[in-house]
Amino acid sequence: MSGNYAQQDPLQQPYDAIVVGSGATGGWAAKQLAEAGLRVALLEAGRAISPKEFTEHMPSYKLRYRDHSPEIVRTRPVQKQCYACMEYNYEWFVNDLENPYSTPAGKPFTWQRLRVLGGRSLVWGRQSYRLSDADFKAASRDGYGDDWPISYADLAPYYDIVERYVGISGAAEGNEMLPDGRFLPPMKMSCGEVLLRERVKAKFGYTVTIGRAAVLTQNYNGRLACHYCGPCERGCMTFSYFSSPFTTVKDAVASGKCTLITNAVVSHVDMDNALNKAQGVTYVDRLTRQVKEVRGKAVILCAQALESTRILLNSSTREYPKGLANSSGALGHYLMDHVVGGGASGRLPDFKTLPDANEPQRPNGIYIPRFRNTPSGNKHSRFIRGYGYQGGAGAEFNMSAEGYGASFKKAVKEGIYGIGLGGFGESLARWDNYVEIDTNLKDAWGIPALHIVMAHGDNEVALMEDAAATAAEMLESAGAKDIRVQANVEMPGMAIHELGTARMGADPKKAVLNPFNQTHDVKNLFVMDGASFVSSACQNPTLTMMAITVRACDQLIDRFHKNDI
Amino acid sequence: MKRRELLRAGVLASAAAALPRTPALAQNTAPSPELTPAQSGVDASKDLAAPGWKPLFLDAHQNETLIVLSDLILPATDTPGAKEALVNRYIDLVLAAETPETQRAFLNSLGYLDGESMRRYQAAFRYLKREDQDDLLHALAYPRANSGWTGEAGGPDVGHGHFEQLKQRIITAYYSSQTGERELGWDGAFAHGSYEGCNHPEGSHK
Ligand SMILES: Cc1cc2nc3c(=O)[nH]c(=O)nc-3n(C[C@H](O)[C@H](O)[C@H](O)COP(=O)(O)OP(=O)(O)OC[C@H]3O[C@@H](n4cnc5c(N)ncnc54)[C@H](O)[C@@H]3O)c2cc1C
Ligand code: SF4
Repeated sequence: MSGNYAQQDPLQQPYDAIVVGSGATGGWAAKQLAEAGLRVALLEAGRAISPKEFTEHMPSYKLRYRDHSPEIVRTRPVQKQCYACMEYNYEWFVNDLENPYSTPAGKPFTWQRLRVLGGRSLVWGRQSYRLSDADFKAASRDGYGDDWPISYADLAPYYDIVERYVGISGAAEGNEMLPDGRFLPPMKMSCGEVLLRERVKAKFGYTVTIGRAAVLTQNYNGRLACHYCGPCERGCMTFSYFSSPFTTVKDAVASGKCTLITNAVVSHVDMDNALNKAQGVTYVDRLTRQVKEVRGKAVILCAQALESTRILLNSSTREYPKGLANSSGALGHYLMDHVVGGGASGRLPDFKTLPDANEPQRPNGIYIPRFRNTPSGNKHSRFIRGYGYQGGAGAEFNMSAEGYGASFKKAVKEGIYGIGLGGFGESLARWDNYVEIDTNLKDAWGIPALHIVMAHGDNEVALMEDAAATAAEMLESAGAKDIRVQANVEMPGMAIHELGTARMGADPKKAVLNPFNQTHDVKNLFVMDGASFVSSACQNPTLTMMAITVRACDQLIDRFHKNDI
Repeated sequence: MKRRELLRAGVLASAAAALPRTPALAQNTAPSPELTPAQSGVDASKDLAAPGWKPLFLDAHQNETLIVLSDLILPATDTPGAKEALVNRYIDLVLAAETPETQRAFLNSLGYLDGESMRRYQAAFRYLKREDQDDLLHALAYPRANSGWTGEAGGPDVGHGHFEQLKQRIITAYYSSQTGERELGWDGAFAHGSYEGCNHPEGSHK
């Protein structure tokens, strides 16, 4: 079975390390390991990508359906629930007909993902926040769940490394829930946002800050500053926002130590049962459907939380009947995704509204870090943990003006000054939220697919109710009018922040991974993406994922040099 | 204005300079068939203006009604209106690809307009005098302030609902067209310098 691949690349095998997935985390693993001199194979299920296919500067009137393409409806009924899946770029997102998963009746889960070099780093919202010890050690404070086996001090140096390379623009605030990082100059706030910041500080004592975004506000690290064209999710010809193909993956390949293999859909990890070691992975060539093997001394899964866990569940052996490296039984469990749907919007009557179609488009908003159940604050009576807000304020064309005719046309252009806040709440880690293999369902490559079981609980509902009511109060404090409150709980998956299912922990009986993302059961097998999260916190998670990847790679490189792998 | 122009020129030059630095791994890739039309550079903006255009979904009467209605909702003023922006053609194209339920809902709303028109004026909407069209639209365009006096308090405002459905389609079609982008004042350039935000002195907004 292995012959085909060996012919392509006879000198390299076995590789020192096989990295599965080239997105936000896999790009980092490949870069760190290859630059440290390890011989790396980077396997990516999707195709390669070229800047020639970026469409951020294409006006919508050039699209045949101006973003209502029937092709999206037909082939991407799940993916189109993602705001970033558009007529411009839907081919980057998985074809749902080829990539099915199942959910129980009455428990929908939306799984939004890309299969192309760079994965979701191509379209992500770029919001980048550190976690604090209030997150890593939350269980010790409120008694729910488990602490992480690592603390902020363990991760801080790796946040530094990632931020220095990626380039995160933002403002230092000294907030206890949101540690400051190594920032490029912050983007500016609008007048309405400045007003909200002042009022919220005065009335509530909370922080309103500019979003911390992986978007360059100055030329940096060989990439150009953002030119504020706006629609980043269609690509960026100047590589001004962070996406892995043009940064980490590029560096890995440039090191001469990394072989990139695209169109390699990994189905499972191959074990040497006698030695209890992973010996490589098997993949299906996405285009030819040929089955191939790659051999390596270490296997590192970075396929995004649910895909990495799916690979392990599909790698059962006689020794590991419930999924590879699953002696704890925890594999697949403790699935999390931030809860969203609570917030408020309105308009600020006191600002000049006239919107300008030629105003530079800031690819970023404002952020209000968590203020509930903080170490220095009071305990809330109705819920534990908390939420943060993303939002913004500015002049907009008034497409919801009343009436019709010339007066309507005029009202659209006169605009309104809108303002809005939307909560992102912590999703508690619960055993009952889990994934398993659906034995009746396979993807187009014959690989068994996932059955995803997740529902938000009472705590998440209470968080969104509070997020809605508090957002309305904040807007009111800024003098907003026509405030519309939204107290929904959107279906899980909507935050696109899936976390957990292969959690880390010191105790091999309770956790799949050790604190360095190595499986407790199989020493040369690693999961270095969001599957390792113990709790979700409420901050956008990718910066933390990348810091964890770099930390885990550091440890792996060290052990490699000591011949301990 | 001048400063903006300069900034824009600078951005374009530097963007162009960035392109040759495309990573080798991307450049060596053969063109993939797995691109959206937009990603392969297809420009469909002239398609609707093709000579000999025929509706795909609407019948001739529905199409004419839509032209009349759209041009009342977004008339030509000192800028072109919905008719010139071929709003009807775009809506027809999208509807042709829609689900049967969505198609039916649209035809229902359009039919409601004609139904009301027949009821009040004994003629289909597109044949009414301009003032009558206006009167009818006016009755539908604004939500009933309070329907308590009719005895059906709280009941849905059916007519307004249909009007809003039609209006949403029409304004989406208009403002996403090239005419609509111009109407909003867009100059066609993709970069306009850096985002300046609030330039008032510290403490101006308290
Ligand atoms: C629209 C959108 C907005 C977002 N906004 C933010 C934000 O503002 N801030 C934030 O922190 N996060 C955000 N996220 C989430 C963020 O994108 C993810 O957390 C992050 O990309 C996860 O990194 P990853 O490496 O685990 O997975 P990905 O980046 O998704 O990459 C996984 C890669 O693995 C490949 N792969 C999967 N299965 C296999 C297999 N079997 N074999 C081989 N390869 C495989 C995929 O093709 C893909 O390239 C957003 C996501 C989306 C979609
Ligand atoms: S807004 Fe900035 S980062 Fe986003 S695509 Fe445009 S230039 Fe790139």
